[in-house]
Amino acid sequence: MMKKLYRYLSPLLILALMLGSLPVVAAPAPAGGMITTQEALAAERSQSDRERIHAVLARDDVRDQLVAQGVDPAEVEARVAALSDAEAAQMAERLDQMPAGASVVGALFAVFVILLVTDILGLTNVYPFTR
Amino acid sequence: MIDCPQRQPTRDRNARHAGVLALVLLLLLLSGCATTPRLDSATRSAVAPHVLIDEVPFHGQRDYQCGPASLAMVLQHDGVATDVDALIPQVFTPGREGSVQPEMLATVRRQGRIPFVIEGRFETLLRELDAGHPVVVMQNLSLPAWPLWHYAVAIGYDLQEETMILHSGMEARRKESFKRFDATWARSDRWAFVALPPGELPTTIGTEAALQAIGDFEAVHGSQAALPAWEALAKRYPANATAHFGLGNARHAGGDLEGAIDAFTAAAAVDESHAPAWLNLGLALEAAGRREPALEALARAAALPGRWQSHSREALERFGE
Repeated sequence: MMKKLYRYLSPLLILALMLGSLPVVAAPAPAGGMITTQEALAAERSQSDRERIHAVLARDDVRDQLVAQGVDPAEVEARVAALSDAEAAQMAERLDQMPAGASVVGALFAVFVILLVTDILGLTNVYPFTR
Repeated sequence: MIDCPQRQPTRDRNARHAGVLALVLLLLLLSGCATTPRLDSATRSAVAPHVLIDEVPFHGQRDYQCGPASLAMVLQHDGVATDVDALIPQVFTPGREGSVQPEMLATVRRQGRIPFVIEGRFETLLRELDAGHPVVVMQNLSLPAWPLWHYAVAIGYDLQEETMILHSGMEARRKESFKRFDATWARSDRWAFVALPPGELPTTIGTEAALQAIGDFEAVHGSQAALPAWEALAKRYPANATAHFGLGNARHAGGDLEGAIDAFTAAAAVDESHAPAWLNLGLALEAAGRREPALEALARAAALPGRWQSHSREALERFGE
């Protein structure tokens, strides 16, 4: 029941956040004012306004994902704030694609043997006793 | 995703059993031979034969927390008052049992240091160590198909022995052969960074990477905190207009109008087509009450086609009246 509610609520929230943050990003530099270093750098990298809007949305996305990954909600805001635009975009894109779990290695006997051999060959460093 | 492997210092020499020889051959075919990274003679003579940055503190990782442990080591070496327990909630992601690369950099930034991602080359790593900068490296200790991601802190090397010295996992000053280290490091695309206080730059950093790192730091901490970094960058790369431009903005934000004018002038002198430099120079001169040169600079900005032209024209019109 709650899940269903969330399913309807989240697109609305996303839309609200999008509309809320658009004017801020898309707004041109104040007429006649100084150009900030960040604006000049973004222009040098030929970053379009569209990409910058995307970066703002990415931050909201990262915020949600971090909470879902068990990060203390009180910490999430500060963590997201410390990310650069590029880093936020990267995390928004990749965080869910990343495989979780350390237990993968050694789960299969074949994998164990292969890694043992590569360890002995000096290609990997999984088992300390091979050194 | 980084899952720091748990290691017990076991030593079992009987592990080499002959039955795997066939697999050895197969794997050699599959993966090719990892070779010891070759250092050109220029690098060999440019760096000290043996380096150990002895004063880097060691923190053994707990559970899967090599990320916070590595950060604590380099940050404490930099003089930041922090520890592993304080860093865990800032960088560790419980759901993934690890810490991701962007957040490693972001956490350095949060602690008031600038994270510079260095060029992923073996020579670069050695040169940074030679300059006394401990380097956080990311390794995949396993094969690409079954990754075992890990962060460690490189604190030295020995060219004669061909070994890297690392604070890694549960082991302080672990020695890893160049060959094995480079094989595991190469699987992260040789990702590595140094954390430095504003005002210090990595020995090997290029202009683009430095501009990015300082610009990102400034976006979080403001111009005042980034000012020493801009000063250092403009000094290191006097031929880079954007470095002078960034310096001008940071000085201006700190109320140093004359200093800002000098820096914007230098930026425009280096690159006459740098419209933002002309524009900001004009505005700074205007604020300093120097009307004639201000209008001249604004006219230069307004004459340059591109993204800032309309912006510059508006400024010129407003002040020209």
